[in-house]
Amino acid sequence: MKIKFLELKENYAKVLFEDTSPYFVNSIRRTMIADIPKLAIEKVTIYDNTSALFDEIIAHRLGLIPLPTHLDLLNFRKECSCKGNGCPSCTIHYTLSKEGECTVYSGDLRPEDSMWTVVDKNIPIVKLQKNQRLILEAEAELGTGNQHAKWQVVCGIGYKYYPVIEIDKEKCNLCSACVDACPRNILEIKRNKITVRNIEECILCKSCSDSCKKGAINVRGDGSRIIMQYETDGSLTAEKALKEALKILQKKYDELKKCFK
Amino acid sequence: MIIPVRCFTCGKVLASIFEEYKKRVYIDGEEAGKVLDELGVKRYCCRRTIISHPVFIKDGEVKELIDEAGEYE
Ligand SMILES: [Zn+2]
Ligand SMILES: [Zn+2]
Repeated sequence: MKIKFLELKENYAKVLFEDTSPYFVNSIRRTMIADIPKLAIEKVTIYDNTSALFDEIIAHRLGLIPLPTHLDLLNFRKECSCKGNGCPSCTIHYTLSKEGECTVYSGDLRPEDSMWTVVDKNIPIVKLQKNQRLILEAEAELGTGNQHAKWQVVCGIGYKYYPVIEIDKEKCNLCSACVDACPRNILEIKRNKITVRNIEECILCKSCSDSCKKGAINVRGDGSRIIMQYETDGSLTAEKALKEALKILQKKYDELKKCFK
Repeated sequence: MIIPVRCFTCGKVLASIFEEYKKRVYIDGEEAGKVLDELGVKRYCCRRTIISHPVFIKDGEVKELIDEAGEYE
C-alpha cells in the first residue's frame, strides 16, 4: 500500500492510494468526515444585541467560523481533568464588542491568547446600523463531525477509481468522435493514433465509448488505485487532517484487537 | 438576508469571499463563472449558494437585505 500526494496545498489535497481497495479508502474518508476533533464555538453569552439578527442566528454563525486547532494542547471537555467545568486545556474564550455603523467580522473575535486568533478574518457575522451594538462572550471547545457539521474538518471529500482507457487500434478508424465527446478534453489524435493527454483528469463519464460507433474505446476504473481529493476549512492543514485520520483509525483497530485477548 | 457562512451542502467557507465577488460581478460587471473559478469555488453546490444569494443595487452600492433590515426599529 502506497500513498502519494498528487497535489498538496495548505487547505487542499489530491492523494493517490496504490495497492488498496475502495472499502479501505472509504473508511479513511468516513473517519476524516466524522472523527477528526476540531475547535468550534459551542457556547455564546450575549450581553447586548440590538442588531437586525436574533441572538440564535448570531450564535449559529459564530459556531461555523473555523478556528485554529492545536490538537496537542487540547482535550475534549468531557474527558478533561476539570470534569467538564471548563479549564484552559479544554475551553478557549473569545470576546467581541462592537458598535455601529459597521460590519462585524470574524476577525473582531478577540481570544485570550493570540495563538487562537481565527484563521479567516473576513467572515461577516452581522451588519450594524448606527447606535446598534453587539457585545458577547464565546466559549470554544473540541468536537467531532458526527456531533455537528461545525466540527467537520474536511469538506467536499470524495474519491474515484483510477481511470483506465483502452483503445483497440484495429477497430479505430480515427473518426475523432471520441475526441469531440470528451468533456475534459483529454483525448487527442497524435501520429495517426488516439492518445490520452492527462489520464487523471478523466471523470469516467464514458462519453467517449458511447460516441464510438466501432466500439474501439473502452473506459474502466481500476479499484486497486484510488484518487481521493478533499479540502479543509482551515482549522487543520490538509496534510495534518489525513495524518490525524489515520491515527484515529489505528487507535480504533488497536482497541478492537484488545477485545480478542 | 446575509451571506451564509458556509456552503449548505459541503461546508466550505464562502462568506469571506462574497465581498470580492459582489464587487467584481455586480459593480465591475465581470462574468460570474469566471470570478468563481478565480476565487477557487469549484463545486456546483458552492457556486449555487453564491449565485443565488439575493442582492440589490441602491445608490451605486450592492446591498443585501440585512443592510435595509437594520434601518427599521
Ligand atoms: Zn478542562
Ligand atoms: Zn459546496
